[in-house]
Amino acid sequence: MKILHSWLMDFIGAELGTDDLAARLTRLGFNIEEIKKTGAAFSGVVVGRIQAIEKHPNADKLSLCEVDTGSEVIKVVCGAKNIAVGQKIPFARVGAALAGGALKKARIRGVDSEGMICSAGELGLEGYDNSGILVLPDCAPVGADAKTLFPKADHVFEVEITPNLAYCLSHYALARELCVFYGLALKKPAVIGASAPEKGIAGITIEAPELCPRYVAVVVRNAAAGTPDWMAARLRAAGVNPKGNLLIDVSNYVMYELGQPIHCFDLAGLSGPEIRVRAARAGETMKTLDNQDLKLAEDMLVIADKNVPVALAGVMGAVAGAVSDSTKDILIESANFAPASIRRTSRKTGIKSESSYRFERGADPELPLYAALRLARLILDCAPGAKVEQITDNYPSKHVPRVIEVSAERINAILGTQIPEKDIFACLKAIQPELKGDRPWQFSVPGYRRDIESVWDIAEEAARYIGYEAIPSVSKMPMMRACAAPSFEVAAELKGRLACLGFSEVYNYDFISLRDFRNCLLNEEEAVSLKNPLSAEFQFLRTAMVAGALKTLSYNLNRGRNSVSIFEVGTVFRKTKNVGETACAVSTCGLIPRKGCRHCEETMCAGLMYGSFPDSEFWRGGSAAADFYHLKGVMNAVFSGCGGFRFEKAKNPPAYFHPGASLEMKLGNSQAGWLGLLNPLVARNSDLKDNQIYYFELPLKALVAAHKPEFWQRAAQVKAVSAFPNIRRDLSVVLEDKFEWADIEAAIAKAPDLSAVQLIDVYKGKNIGENLKSITIRFTFSSMEKTLTDAEINAYINAILLKLSLNFGAKLRA
Amino acid sequence: MNQADWKNKLALIRDGFLSGLAAADAAALAELETHYLGRKGELTLSLRELKDFPLEERKVLGALGNALKEELAAKLDARKAETGAGAVDLKKSQFDLTLAGYPFAKGSLHPLTLTVDKMCDGFQKLGFSIAQGPLIEEDYFNFEALNFPPDHPARDMQDTFYVDLKDASGKDLMLRTHTSPVQIRTMKTRTPPLRTVSAGRVFRSEAVDASHSFAFHQLEGFCLDRNITMADLKWTLEAFMQDLFGSSAKIAFSPSFFPFVEPGAQAAVSCVFCGSEAACPVCKGTGWIELLGAGVIHPNVIRACGYDPEQWSGFAFGAGIERFAMLLFGIKDMRMFYENDLRILKQL
Repeated sequence: MKILHSWLMDFIGAELGTDDLAARLTRLGFNIEEIKKTGAAFSGVVVGRIQAIEKHPNADKLSLCEVDTGSEVIKVVCGAKNIAVGQKIPFARVGAALAGGALKKARIRGVDSEGMICSAGELGLEGYDNSGILVLPDCAPVGADAKTLFPKADHVFEVEITPNLAYCLSHYALARELCVFYGLALKKPAVIGASAPEKGIAGITIEAPELCPRYVAVVVRNAAAGTPDWMAARLRAAGVNPKGNLLIDVSNYVMYELGQPIHCFDLAGLSGPEIRVRAARAGETMKTLDNQDLKLAEDMLVIADKNVPVALAGVMGAVAGAVSDSTKDILIESANFAPASIRRTSRKTGIKSESSYRFERGADPELPLYAALRLARLILDCAPGAKVEQITDNYPSKHVPRVIEVSAERINAILGTQIPEKDIFACLKAIQPELKGDRPWQFSVPGYRRDIESVWDIAEEAARYIGYEAIPSVSKMPMMRACAAPSFEVAAELKGRLACLGFSEVYNYDFISLRDFRNCLLNEEEAVSLKNPLSAEFQFLRTAMVAGALKTLSYNLNRGRNSVSIFEVGTVFRKTKNVGETACAVSTCGLIPRKGCRHCEETMCAGLMYGSFPDSEFWRGGSAAADFYHLKGVMNAVFSGCGGFRFEKAKNPPAYFHPGASLEMKLGNSQAGWLGLLNPLVARNSDLKDNQIYYFELPLKALVAAHKPEFWQRAAQVKAVSAFPNIRRDLSVVLEDKFEWADIEAAIAKAPDLSAVQLIDVYKGKNIGENLKSITIRFTFSSMEKTLTDAEINAYINAILLKLSLNFGAKLRA
Repeated sequence: MNQADWKNKLALIRDGFLSGLAAADAAALAELETHYLGRKGELTLSLRELKDFPLEERKVLGALGNALKEELAAKLDARKAETGAGAVDLKKSQFDLTLAGYPFAKGSLHPLTLTVDKMCDGFQKLGFSIAQGPLIEEDYFNFEALNFPPDHPARDMQDTFYVDLKDASGKDLMLRTHTSPVQIRTMKTRTPPLRTVSAGRVFRSEAVDASHSFAFHQLEGFCLDRNITMADLKWTLEAFMQDLFGSSAKIAFSPSFFPFVEPGAQAAVSCVFCGSEAACPVCKGTGWIELLGAGVIHPNVIRACGYDPEQWSGFAFGAGIERFAMLLFGIKDMRMFYENDLRILKQL
């Protein structure tokens, strides 16, 4: 909300400078976003008249203007295009104080310029056209101080008003808050006496008192007048464009002054004349003041005359019944409406107004009459012939103040303070002057403080009154044991391992586009869609991490990198066909079953490897193109220590994997993830030139399920090693290419005293023969009981050779 | 050669060795060792000559020879220790030590992960357990139980993304706008005393710029116990901040509003980056950095979770993780967190 310093000061019996005011407001919880100077802060500027214009001899875009300043005629250089002979303009003499500092004598392209014709910006004026020089009205007297034509120098505070402070949404209300909390004298704005008859001209009926607890109507005749300059200037400062018609502008003025949304109807436009506050009828329509044709629904509250709605209650007036330049007599509406009803109507119609904004947040039920009388006062001040002929206060649901029992002990127990009782009493008394001293205090909440509902709210008031710095930093909380959700621990461990293996963690958005779905061969039917996306690019929740990983890859390749090894731990979302109790696989502390759940949310770790490994060149060589076996090795390292981890041939890998070059990972019987070559189609769709991209994904589900929460349970159990020498033998055999290592290894791994089997070479090609390969296997033997003899080892090796020969037709390589 | 000759020879070797030893520097010592004790050294060769002696003589002479060998070796070692010399010339480098070491692949953790881990660690030390919750939330957990009633303007403070799914009561599901629903989930499934923090991603429908993003991260924590006060909250946050910014860090509270706390506060930490210079770009010369929202848990929230607010009390706090990460790592633009530029990430 915009607060004009001088307007605020109208209601405070003390002078507060801008810095002081800002500090005091901040201390009460009002966040000040900006303080802007406004009005005329300049000096040394007079009204001048342009007598003649000629071209600047040395510059095409500049002119020389002869300006009559009343006392002399001065020639100056001017660059503006909107100059014309005869114009009245603000003329700054040398030495004038302008927005940019004191004006100096200048020599522009060889011509002396003793002064300047100013733009609004140069004068530091806000809210005026700043595209050229500022043209003054013709009536401005030449030679007069230009400052007198503008509002006085002032400051506009942009104050953030949180919903709990909504009772401060006006100048008077904010002043009241300052006066209450800082013990200053509050000055009320002038109103008329309530001396007119209650009935006679317009009938007022409230059909829905639960939605409209109070309706004040004041009829003023001969009210037409123009908006005075001072009012227009204040409205401008508050951010409203004044219309010039008092009957329109004055309602805004009263709203920004007192916080009461208020509306004037043209009495002649109300059939009856009467006012009915009622629910809209089915099929009823209304044209709003901003020219929207609304179809009304029965749950909307309207203000109607005898026949048709003339306003959407508390939200916006209609064209029917609106004041115009020909309006003479008016009916002032100053009412109170139920917040929820206003909010629903405003949301349903999509109309947000300053009025609905205030009603939604709860207006003061004690304010409408006072605000109406204030508006009448302003009209009477500006329109000499105006006369108040009816004042009706229809108040069927009288506001009953809430009474809260409070004690100093209770307040101190909430705040953890030892504030003396008398200080807390002083605070409560400031908010509610009628508070009695008998204990326990019965605090009757003033009508404007709808936010105070309980002793906790009062504790906050006490803290604001005393100052939050009174809350000490002390605690008697007992020690407590802390633990972490398994999903958090598992993710942290996984991230740490991948980072150690050369992978960089990235964060991508959860939102992807339909294009991403298609490019990555994802199933669109599983996509959870946003109802209100920011753009088509961010329409769907990702069902897999692959799109983000590829974007990261492209981003970095485009910035000069050749190798990219990245991973991300994030969430994927899928619609499910089956209705589950809780389909969500996020392991959460305190996950509450979701009935009828039709989606599943899962934490996923995914990443890719592209380029060379290691990712930077070594001067001695040894960097190789990153391939499947690098990634497989990474996965081995990631899962090291996880019991039951193994690779299996992928049967149905996700579509973005190459089906012939992917493995499934298992932890016991659970699926632990996939790794493999990215489907070349996906690489092509994503405009990647090279398709040697190795991708993996690890749903955290399996790891979390296998995670033992207690450290002693998951600590790896150490196996004893032999005290006798290890004996190593390498064996090279030739066999048919079709045999796979996993099968060979399985066949020979169980030999006695064999502690390790390692494949150390695979060779195909010359000297070996078609469809054959030579493999070299390193065996390490050791016994727990003795030193093995050559004869024993030879026997073991012979047995292994025999097995290789029988099962695979392997022959010892010559 | 007879016994006497051999013994004489041994004596000469001894004299020669000892006289050489006294004057030798590191290089000469190596030469000396080779000359007498090396494989073709004088003493070694003399010992080999013993094979030509008769057995009985060989025994006696051999013992003599070996004793001398030990003596000389010991003296050589002692002298080596004195001169501080090894066998090789250590002044001369064998290879170019300035060549790059092997480029082990260096990975990195994302700055937000590093920040979350550090923050969670700080709170764990104070007895807060780590919880997690879903990103797709129900109106009840995201708003209603947190004292955002339906049709309440406080909901306008958080622009919400809705998804094409509904909860059991037919309301649209949404992406959580804050991590606070984890509070509700924890209170509803656990029994107090409770002390929990939860960090994670949240979503608000906002345009992306240097300081805004539609997806960002929060850390949320709360405590529910008996006789908890706002002073406990201040102490907790101060202890946490000291873990992060050093033991002189202080917390200042000022009034603020969040529907799920009352009284509500904005918590600022004393600026460790400046020492209150007017030019400090971090705190803008105020000496304080606003980092957390906090307060006493609103009685309506305690009630919604099934507890009596007259019996149980607590506090809650929340912070934007990006804000912490930007401060800690000197990051100026929030968009950097999602750009994933390895030139930046690999610095961490």
